[in-house]
Amino acid sequence: MRFIHTADWQIGMKAAHVGTAAETVRDERLQAARRVVKLAEQARAEFVVLAGDTFENNGVDRILIQRTADILGKFGGQVYLLPGNHDALDPCSIWEHPAWASHDNLRVLDKAEPVDVPGGILYPCPVHEEHSSRNPVQWIKAANSPRIAVGVAHGTVEGLQLEEPEYPIPRDAPTLAGLDYIALGHWHSYATYPDSDNVVRMAYSGTHEPTKFGERDSGNVLLVDIEARGEHPVLTPMKTGRLSWTVIEQELRQPGDLARVSSMVEKLEDPASTLLDLRIKGVLWADESQELSRIREISQSRFLFSRLDDSCIVPYPDDESWVSGLPAGSLRDAALRLSELADPSYPGERLPGTSFETASRALLELYALVSEVSK
Amino acid sequence: MILHAISLKGWRCFAESFQIGPFSDGLNVVHGPNGVGKSTIFEALVRALIDSHRVRGRDAEALRPWGRSLSPVVTVEFSHGGTKYRVSKGFLDKAYCELERKEDRRFVRFSEGEAADQFVRALLTKNPPGRGLARRDNWGLAQVLWAPQGELALLSLSGDVVADVRQMLGAQVSGPESGRLERRIRELYTGLYTTTRKLRSGRDAPELVTLQERLEDANERWGEAMERQQEFEELSRKVEDLRSRQAEAERTSHELEKRLMLLGPKVQEYNKLLSTRSEREAKVHEAEALHDSLKQCMDNIAKTRKSLAKTQEGCSKLHDELSDRELEARELRAKVERATKNLEDKRKERPKVKEAQDETELARRYLEALQRASNLQERVKKVRKLDQKLKELSGQRSKLVAPDNATIRNIRRTVKAHDEARLRLDAALITLQIVPSKKGNLTVVEAEESGSRTLLPEEPVEVKGSPRVVVDLAGVARLRAWGPVVSIDDMRKSLAKHANALSKLTARFHTADIEALEALNERGTELDKRITKLNTEIEATLGGSPLDDVERELSHVQSETNTILGQRRKWAKKAPDLDRLAKNAEAIRDKFVADVETAEQKRDAAQAAHAAANERKAATVARLEETETRLRDLQETLVELTSDGKTDVERLKESKAIARKWEAAKADFEEVEDKLRTYEYDPRTDLEKLEGLRKSADAEARKALSDQNREEGRLEQLTALGTYSSLAKIEEEIAVLNEAVTREQLRADAIRLLYDTVEECQNQALVAVGRPVEQAATRTLQRIAGTRIGGIQIGEHLEPACVLPQRTDESVSIVEVSGGEKEQIYLATRLALAEVLARNERHLVVLDDVLTATDSLRLARILRILEEAAERLQIVILTCHPERYGALTETQFFDLEELLRA
Repeated sequence: MRFIHTADWQIGMKAAHVGTAAETVRDERLQAARRVVKLAEQARAEFVVLAGDTFENNGVDRILIQRTADILGKFGGQVYLLPGNHDALDPCSIWEHPAWASHDNLRVLDKAEPVDVPGGILYPCPVHEEHSSRNPVQWIKAANSPRIAVGVAHGTVEGLQLEEPEYPIPRDAPTLAGLDYIALGHWHSYATYPDSDNVVRMAYSGTHEPTKFGERDSGNVLLVDIEARGEHPVLTPMKTGRLSWTVIEQELRQPGDLARVSSMVEKLEDPASTLLDLRIKGVLWADESQELSRIREISQSRFLFSRLDDSCIVPYPDDESWVSGLPAGSLRDAALRLSELADPSYPGERLPGTSFETASRALLELYALVSEVSK
Repeated sequence: MILHAISLKGWRCFAESFQIGPFSDGLNVVHGPNGVGKSTIFEALVRALIDSHRVRGRDAEALRPWGRSLSPVVTVEFSHGGTKYRVSKGFLDKAYCELERKEDRRFVRFSEGEAADQFVRALLTKNPPGRGLARRDNWGLAQVLWAPQGELALLSLSGDVVADVRQMLGAQVSGPESGRLERRIRELYTGLYTTTRKLRSGRDAPELVTLQERLEDANERWGEAMERQQEFEELSRKVEDLRSRQAEAERTSHELEKRLMLLGPKVQEYNKLLSTRSEREAKVHEAEALHDSLKQCMDNIAKTRKSLAKTQEGCSKLHDELSDRELEARELRAKVERATKNLEDKRKERPKVKEAQDETELARRYLEALQRASNLQERVKKVRKLDQKLKELSGQRSKLVAPDNATIRNIRRTVKAHDEARLRLDAALITLQIVPSKKGNLTVVEAEESGSRTLLPEEPVEVKGSPRVVVDLAGVARLRAWGPVVSIDDMRKSLAKHANALSKLTARFHTADIEALEALNERGTELDKRITKLNTEIEATLGGSPLDDVERELSHVQSETNTILGQRRKWAKKAPDLDRLAKNAEAIRDKFVADVETAEQKRDAAQAAHAAANERKAATVARLEETETRLRDLQETLVELTSDGKTDVERLKESKAIARKWEAAKADFEEVEDKLRTYEYDPRTDLEKLEGLRKSADAEARKALSDQNREEGRLEQLTALGTYSSLAKIEEEIAVLNEAVTREQLRADAIRLLYDTVEECQNQALVAVGRPVEQAATRTLQRIAGTRIGGIQIGEHLEPACVLPQRTDESVSIVEVSGGEKEQIYLATRLALAEVLARNERHLVVLDDVLTATDSLRLARILRILEEAAERLQIVILTCHPERYGALTETQFFDLEELLRA
C-alpha cells in the first residue's frame, strides 16, 4: 500500500500576522494543495489521506470548498478526507457542501467505521466537535484484520506539554488498536512516534504549507509505504511548501553590525516568496541610522512581507558627536535630555509619553532633522 | 529699528504739513506746551508702523483735524537691519500705504498696500490688530519699548510679545541655525498637532488620524463580522441540538410503537373475556328474571285473593253507611226550607221602610223648593228694582247731549285756536276808541263792522278795522284812523275757519261756552258711571243668567212646591219636620235590616249543614263506587294471574326448576370473573396511554423537524456568507492598521516629545536669560532710588511683579509702592528689556511725558542713566517740561512750537 498522508491544510485561514500578504499566504495554501496532488501523481500513490483540518473553519467562504474539491478531484485515485476539530462534523459544516459529491474520487470519512481502500482498510476517527477529551481511536479493534490496517485520527499524542490535550491519543495507540499505521493530523510540524520496538507506526505529516513564523518542519506531506500487514511503514517526507517564513534576530553591539544585518537581508533568496520577521535590538551609532532606514526600505519593497521591529534600538549613549554639533542652547540641551530618556535604565521619573522607545525615536527624528538642515 | 523723521498732514492738530526730524540715533527730546501735538506725533508713529491703512471707524475718523474733511497722512522714515525705509500711509478717504527703500541714495518703491502694512508691522509684532485702530496689546515689541503718556506701567505683555521676546532672546542664545532647526521641529509638530496639543483633524489631519479612523471603522466591521461568526457557531450548535432532539423524538416514537405492538394481543384476550363475561351475565340475569317473575306471579295471586276478600267486606260496610247519610240529608233539607220561609216573611216588610224614606225625601224636597223659591223671588225683585233705576238713568243720559272727553279736548283746542286767531286779528286791526262825553250817534263808515252805534256818556266805544277806520260823529266830525298796513285776510280766514270749526263742534250742544260744555261732559260722565254700576249690580244678582231664566226657574220651583202640596195638603199649613221624619225612617229601616239578617243567618246555617250532609253522602257514595271498582279489578287480576291454567302446585314446581337454572348460570359467570381477576390491571388503559404518548412523540418529532428545518435554513444562509473568511479578512486589515497606527503613533509621540523637550529647554534658557533682565533692572532702580527698595522680581510675562526690600525677606507688591517709585521701577524694567532686545540692533524707545511723579533728585540720576542707555538705544522723550531735561548732553531737542511757527 502506498499513499500520501497529509493534514492541516487550514484552507481559508486568517493571516493577520502577515498584514497585506495575508491574501497571498491564503492563496498559497491552495497552490500547495495542487502541488500535493501533483506529487501524489508523480509518486504513484494509490490514494491520499487528509487527516483533518483541511479547512480552517466551517464558516469559510464556500468558494474555497469547491476549489479544494476541484483540486483534489483532479487526482487519479481516491482521496479520503477526515473531519478535524477545525472542520468538525457540525451541522452545515463544510462536509455538507455538494462539492464533495461533485467528484467521484472524494470520500468524506464521516463515520467511525472501517473503509475499504486499495491494499487495506482505513479506520477513520471523524471529529464531531472542536474540543473533546475523548480518545478518538478507542473504537478501533483491528487486531484481527487480515489486511493492512491504517488508522486516520486527529488529536494530540499524549506526552505533549499541554494543559488540556485535545482528543488525546495514547503513545501506543497503533498497538492497542492493532493498526499498522496511524495517520495523524492536528499539529503542523512533521513528527514521528516510534513504538516500543522503535518502529514508527504513528506520525504527524504536518501542514503542507507553513502557517506562521517559527513553525518547525512544516510544509511537507508524507509518502507512506506499507508492504504488508504487520510490516514497518516507510515514511518519506516530501516538501510541498513554497513560502519561506524567515526570522532574523540580531543585536547591534558595535559599529558595522547593522551593515552586517543589511547584508544578511539582501542575501536572502527569493524574497518574493519570503516572509521576513526582522528583529533588531541594541545600540545604533549615529552614522548608521541611514542604514536602518535602508534596511526598512529593502525589506518592505522586496519581500512578500516584512516586519521590522526596531523598538529596542537605542542610540549609542556615548555617541554624542552629532549632539555636540548642535547649536549650544535649548536644542543641545533637548538632545541631551532625550538621550537620557532613551536609556532604558534611566533612573528618574518618566512622565507619560517619555518611554525609552519614544525618546529613542525622538532622538532619531532630531538626528534626521539635523542632517536635513545641515545639507 | 531707528526713527529718522516723521511727517504729518491732515492729522488732528496738524492740518497742514508738518515734519519733525531728523532724530538723533541717541537721545531726543520733543517738547512743547499742552495741546501742541506731542502725543499726536507719537500716535502717528504707532499708526504708521502698526495699523492697516484701510482701518476705518470712529477712532479713525477722529484722526481728521477738527471741523475739516481732510484725509490723515503720515510718513515715517526709519532704519531696520541697516536699511533705510520710508513708509507713507494715508487713512480714511484716500487710504493707501507705500513703502520705499533707500537704494543708491534714493528711496525706491519697495512695497505697497497690505504687503507694505505687513512688512512694517512685522518689525514690531507678528499679530495684526483686529478691527479698528491697534490697541496696546497689538504693539508687539513696542509694548516694551514705547510708553504712552500715563502708561509707563508694564503690567502684562501679550502672549505673543512675550513669545517674541523669548524667541528673540532664544535666538540670541541659540543662533541662526537653531532657528531653522527649531522651525523644522515646529513644522513637524504643527503638522501633527494643533495649538491645543490635540492631533489635527479634517483636511489637515495627519496620517495617524486617518489610520485611527480607518482602524475604528475596521473595528466596527469586525464587531459585526464577529457577531455573524458567533451567530453561525451558535446556530450550528442549535441545529445540532435540534437534530438530536428530533432523533430522540423519533426514537421515542418507535419505542412506543413497539410497546403498542406487544400490548395488542393481551388487550385482545382481555376483550374476549369481557365479552364472555357479558354473555354469561346476561344469562344469569335472564334466569333470575324468570325466577323472579314466576315468584312474583305466585305472590301476586295470593295477594290478590287476600285483597279481594278484604274489599268485599269493605263494600258491605259502605252500603250501610250510605243509608245513614241519606237520612241525615233529608232531615237537614226540611230545616233549610223552614229557615227560608222565615226569611221571606221578614223581607216582606221592606215596603214600609221605603215608604218612610219616601216621606222623608218628599219633605226634604218640599222644604228645599220653598227655600229656593224664596231666594229666586228676592233676586227677581231686586233685579227689577235695579232695572227701573237703570232705565231712569239711561233716559236721562239719552236726553243729555254732552260732549265726551275727546270732544271736549277738541273743543278746547279749537277755542284756543279761535281765540288766538282773534287776538292776532285784533292785534292787526286798527282800533279807534271813542269815549263820548255825551250821548250821541256814531256812524261807522269803514271798519270791521259798519253801521250806527249809540254813544253813551263815559261808555267807551271801540271801532276796529283795517286798513283804516272811518267813523262819523254826527255833527262833530269824521274820524279816520289808520295804521301800518297789514294784510288781515288770512287772519280773518283763519278766525272764520276756527269759528266754523267751533260752531260745528258745539252745534249739537247748543252752546259754545266751554264751561257749560265741560259741565255737560261731567254730567254725562257721571251718568255713564252710575249706569255702568247698575249694570254690574244687576249682572251680579242674576249670577250671569238672564232674568227670564231666573224667572223661569222660579216658576218651576213654585210648580214643584205646589205639586208636593197637592200630595200633602197639611204641609201648606205647617211645614213638615224633616228631622223627625228622617229619624223615623231610619228606625224602621234598621229594624228591617236586623230582622232580615237574622233570618238569613239561620237559613245559611241550615243550608250549610244540609250541604255538609250531602257531601258526606257523596263521599260515601264515591268510596262505595271505588271499592266496587277495586273489587272488580281484583277479580279481573285474579282471572288474569290464573289464566295460565296452572295450579298452585304446578307453579311451585316450575319455580324450583327455574331456580336451579339460575344457579347454574351464576356458576358460569363466576368462572369468567375468576379469569378476569387474574389480570392485575386493565390493559386497555395502558394501550390508551401508550397511544397518547405516541401521538405526543410524533408531534414532538414533527415540531423538532420543523424547528430543525427552519434553523438549518437560517444556518445555510449564514454559511453562504462565509462568515469566517469575512472575519479573517477584517482581522488581517485590523492587524495591518494596528501596526501602522502603532508606528505612526510612535512617530507622533516622538515628535511631540521632541517638541516639548525643546520648548522646555527653551523656557529654561529664557528663565536663565530673564535673570539678567532682573539684575539689570534692579541695578538701574538702585541707582535711581538707592538700595532701600531692594531688587525687582520679574514675572512670567516679563512684567515687574514685586520688589524685594533689603530689610525684609518678604516681597512687596508693586501696588504697595509709591507713585514715583512705581514710575522708576517700570522705567528700569523697560530699559532692561529694551537693552536685551537691542543686543543685535538699536531699537527706538519712546517715553511720552512719563516720570511726572519723580522728584528732581531722582530725575537727575535717571537722566544720567538715559544718557548711558542712549549708547545702545535710540530714545525719544516727549515732554511739556523741557527744563527738566535740560541737563542732558548730546541730546537733540525739538521745540514743537518753533517748528510749527516755521
